Amino acid sequence: MAILPFDLGFGLGALRVWGIWILPFVAALIIPAVAKGSKRATGWVAVAFALASAVSALSLLPSALGNHEIHNQIPWISSIGLKAGVLADPLAVIMSNVVAWISFLIFVYSTGYMKGDKDLTRFFFWMAFFLGSMQLIVLSDNFLQLFFGWEGVGLASYALVGFWYKDKKKDHVGIEGRHVLGLMDYYSPTHSGMKAFIMTKVGDVMMLAGMFLIFAFAGTFGFRELTANTSWATAMASQHLLIPAAVLLFGGAIGKSAQFPLNEWLLEAMTGPTAVSALIHAATMVKAGVFLVARLAPLFFALAAIGINMDQFFEVIAWVGAITALLLATQGMVHPEIKKVLAYSTGSQIGYMMMALGVAGLSKQFVDGYTAGFFHLISHAMFKASLFMAAGSILHVVGSRFMTDMGGLRKYMKKTYVFMWAAGLGLMGAPFITTGFWSKDAIFAAVYESGNTWALPLFAIAVITAVITAFYTTRMIGLVFFGDKSKHIEELEKEGHHIHETSPSMWIPYGILAVLTIGVGVMGLAFEHQIHDLFVNYLGSTFGITSNVGAVATESQPLLGGLLQGVNPIALVASLSAFAIGFGLGYVFYIGRFADPVKFVNSNILFYAIHKFFLNRWYLNALIYWGFVVAPLYIARGIYKYFENFVLEGFNVVPEKTMAGGARIMQATQTGVSQSYLYIFGVGILVVVFLLLI
Amino acid sequence: MIEFTSTPILLTLILGAVGVIIPVISVARKEKGSSLYGAITFGALLSAIGVVIYQILAKNVTPSAIFSQNVLVDDRFGSFFAIAMLIVGIMTTVGSFNYMRGRANPAVYYSLILLSSIGMILIAYSTDLVMLFVAWELMSIPTYVLAGYLKKDPASNEAAIKYFLFGALSSGIIIYGISIAYGLTGSTNIEQVITGFSKLSPDMIPLAILAVGMFIAGFGFKIGLVPFHMWLPDTYEGSPPTIAALLAAGTKKAGFAAVLRVIIMGAIALNLHWAFALAVIAVVTMTVGNLTAIKQRNLTRMLAYSSIGQAGYILIGLSVAPVSPIGIQAALFHILNHSVMKAAAFIAVAGIVTTLGVTHIEKIKGLGKRMPITALGLTISLLALAGVPPLNGFWSKLMLFGSAIDAGRTLSWAPYLAVAGVLNSALSLAYYGWIIRKMYFEEGESNKRLKEPKSIIAVMIFSIIFMVGIGLYPDPVIQFAKSAVPILSGLPAIH
Repeated sequence: MAILPFDLGFGLGALRVWGIWILPFVAALIIPAVAKGSKRATGWVAVAFALASAVSALSLLPSALGNHEIHNQIPWISSIGLKAGVLADPLAVIMSNVVAWISFLIFVYSTGYMKGDKDLTRFFFWMAFFLGSMQLIVLSDNFLQLFFGWEGVGLASYALVGFWYKDKKKDHVGIEGRHVLGLMDYYSPTHSGMKAFIMTKVGDVMMLAGMFLIFAFAGTFGFRELTANTSWATAMASQHLLIPAAVLLFGGAIGKSAQFPLNEWLLEAMTGPTAVSALIHAATMVKAGVFLVARLAPLFFALAAIGINMDQFFEVIAWVGAITALLLATQGMVHPEIKKVLAYSTGSQIGYMMMALGVAGLSKQFVDGYTAGFFHLISHAMFKASLFMAAGSILHVVGSRFMTDMGGLRKYMKKTYVFMWAAGLGLMGAPFITTGFWSKDAIFAAVYESGNTWALPLFAIAVITAVITAFYTTRMIGLVFFGDKSKHIEELEKEGHHIHETSPSMWIPYGILAVLTIGVGVMGLAFEHQIHDLFVNYLGSTFGITSNVGAVATESQPLLGGLLQGVNPIALVASLSAFAIGFGLGYVFYIGRFADPVKFVNSNILFYAIHKFFLNRWYLNALIYWGFVVAPLYIARGIYKYFENFVLEGFNVVPEKTMAGGARIMQATQTGVSQSYLYIFGVGILVVVFLLLI
Repeated sequence: MIEFTSTPILLTLILGAVGVIIPVISVARKEKGSSLYGAITFGALLSAIGVVIYQILAKNVTPSAIFSQNVLVDDRFGSFFAIAMLIVGIMTTVGSFNYMRGRANPAVYYSLILLSSIGMILIAYSTDLVMLFVAWELMSIPTYVLAGYLKKDPASNEAAIKYFLFGALSSGIIIYGISIAYGLTGSTNIEQVITGFSKLSPDMIPLAILAVGMFIAGFGFKIGLVPFHMWLPDTYEGSPPTIAALLAAGTKKAGFAAVLRVIIMGAIALNLHWAFALAVIAVVTMTVGNLTAIKQRNLTRMLAYSSIGQAGYILIGLSVAPVSPIGIQAALFHILNHSVMKAAAFIAVAGIVTTLGVTHIEKIKGLGKRMPITALGLTISLLALAGVPPLNGFWSKLMLFGSAIDAGRTLSWAPYLAVAGVLNSALSLAYYGWIIRKMYFEEGESNKRLKEPKSIIAVMIFSIIFMVGIGLYPDPVIQFAKSAVPILSGLPAIH
């Protein structure tokens, strides 16, 4: 490409790939400068650069759909053999597009949502930084570079979750005064930011260990290099280090994607501005973990070809996913805060994706589970971003995070109401017309058909979770939009506030995504087959994973005259009934309001206990705090009091005094008298000559 | 004869002509004001750097350093140092814009900076001992005057006198070394001296060793090797901080250029246990420098000791040079990095002096709020000096310590150099961190933002970009350093 007068060493194609992640960073760099001129302009700079990055990503899509791959490397630190590079294969390009476009819409939404905040510069700086780091993760061609993005995402999330660092009462999450096992269930933004940072660090450290374990054997961080030459895997397997290393890497994904047992940070991350929550939950951060697994799963699965069994690794993934899916869904059922319900739901849905990717590795039809997991990632990104932004609008209008303070809003916020239904139906998996239905159905089918020993229990968990999902989504919509106005809203109106729809810059972004959830959903099956075919080619050509081209179609019966060709009937029935039961129960309690849920729970000691168990987050959060925060602090204080004060203080003086003494002697030679300097100089010459002679 | 269009000649002409003309202009010119001279100097240095880069890109430069029959050679080794020193020259000049405002004789000040720069550059290009000595004096004499530039300040006078005293002594010692070398080999050309040394009869060897010892002492004075460092803190502290930047970042590096040209090659020819001697000096130098720095309360003095410590790190690379291929490469890389880091730190202090008039560490409390950009530049340069990733100093230190570990395959004691280096880096963080703590974590007398000198801000921004940029993407510079490494195998076979 002779577009530039000099040779950059790579063509325009690669330049576009680099641009995708570099552009947001450029935006982050210039935003503080722009802020000198106009604070409002920072938002538009962020939006413009996000758009440029997204367009750049889109321009790669056609070639990626043709299973072309752009892999470009430049020397980074060649003296130790490190290269920086970008890898735009179909997986990365599709992911990159999802991230870019959803982030773009969220950025547009932010310009409305954050209007009037006095820290706009800081906000948009971190948002752009967040996006750039995420794209760096997606497009890296090696572990080390990916890790830079990984930590960048962690840092940005810390800064944004704790964005309202003044810890005002309205920015907290949890219920004030509520205690679980003697610990407060009420968190400030700064505390939550720190919690997110530290909990994800646990995973990051594991990932770092896994990375370097593999590096120690392979001598490279590159994904393609690891695929091309697998002798490292044989060497590691013979020392029983391969599975531990793989699981350690997965540890990073557990932390980042808020999977069990590192799931608790995600709920408190709701202290950030809602636009941030949308970004964390739909496009960046938690999806990074799923992406990492999607990056690694084929690599490890392909090792089967050289006789290495990675089943244990995939079992860990599948079970972690399944446990998280159920665990968080149950908690989402009972929580009164709208954003927290959505947060629980995210963790739970990510669990589905992990389950699908894990099951993929356990079955012969790797590509089925792989497609299902990734398809769910895409559809979840759309409806969850939409739901969060809509929830943000509602918070904006109502000024409270509790759903009990809402109610009856459907008359006042018609657009939000409609869009929330559309996106909510996606989350529930409403049959045939939503993306969520097809992707969840694909996961059911993949799990059911995997033929693994664990297939049935996993399938059962998946279906139960789907019932719960449909229930809590209906509950959320019911509490917010149906019934009578809450006391809180009546008070607002008395004070002269007018409950109304939000500005177009806010509702258009989530409107688009809600419409897409339905629009793509109508053609969901065709969409799924597209991805499936693409991945069959991709996995085949890149990793040599041969799979069952067209097997989906042949194995199952043609339903509805071939209209639903390729759909597993059992999975279909399961997802239909899950939706029906969950939605039906939700309708009875929260939309039709035929029964009072509070009375229902209190009517029976068992229901009451279960409710409390769920509301107290299965006591996991409290136990983690007791075990990792309270107890260590207690021990540390004890050590300080009894060990350090007596033992160390006595000994510590020695090195300290030695250093200080040494420094004093050195200082003493520096007399300032030239004669002594010259004397030392002369002696110095003799010493040097002596040293040379020995 | 060396060609008229070769890099060293061109640089001498450009810088020399401007250096001579500036004082003439100042005599002719009526109005006062120093900015004009500063601007001319800046232009001259910038065009000089342009010439060096052009010559490299146009492939007029010998790819790797070789010896020649001429007194100068136009090679990559020289170009590498020329670039490093010109960068320091530019930083000093720009940093001086505000510092010199309202002070006497600005034209002479800038002119002396230019003349000294010529000297530094010519040292790096010299292949003859007499040429090298002339360049050495050309570099030194202007800096004696510059160190004593604040005529009425006794500290500045003391600085200059001490500096001059030691300069004169070490010049004498260098001359003594050269005369021994000439007496033994009948030549002053470095290549012929080395060849001559390698053919000496055994009973003459001690004399040759004495010559090398003289060179170490003579050049070591400029570098600040222990025990030839005594003058250094007094002089850096007393001179104007901008000149301290020139001394620490510029002339010190010229000393390394001379060491590389003369001692390394000479010592290889003599096949001495010189590696061990240099290693001992390296460890002593870094330990004394860092240990003494801890007790300092004055910023310039602390930085002076820190630069002694840094010289010790660079010496690691030189001492393992014959057994580790990356030794000299790492040393060159660290020399370039250190030029910028140290110059940035001193210029930041110059900025503090111009604005607040203080250098005591207790007086800079809360500087992060009062002079945010200067404080940031100082912080980043201190972190880079300590070798914190991902800044440039991290990579060069990593390579230096790596070369020591690499050398462990042949020299059993070499890895201990790396251990000493790491321990010293940790030690150095104690006082670097202390400065940062004072600036950011302690409340100052006021939080009012002060007006920071523009020229200082410019230097800070340049050096921040340099340090962070190379920290993130060090490869091009590492490659450049690699191409500048003199080829040892080009020497006459001796072992």
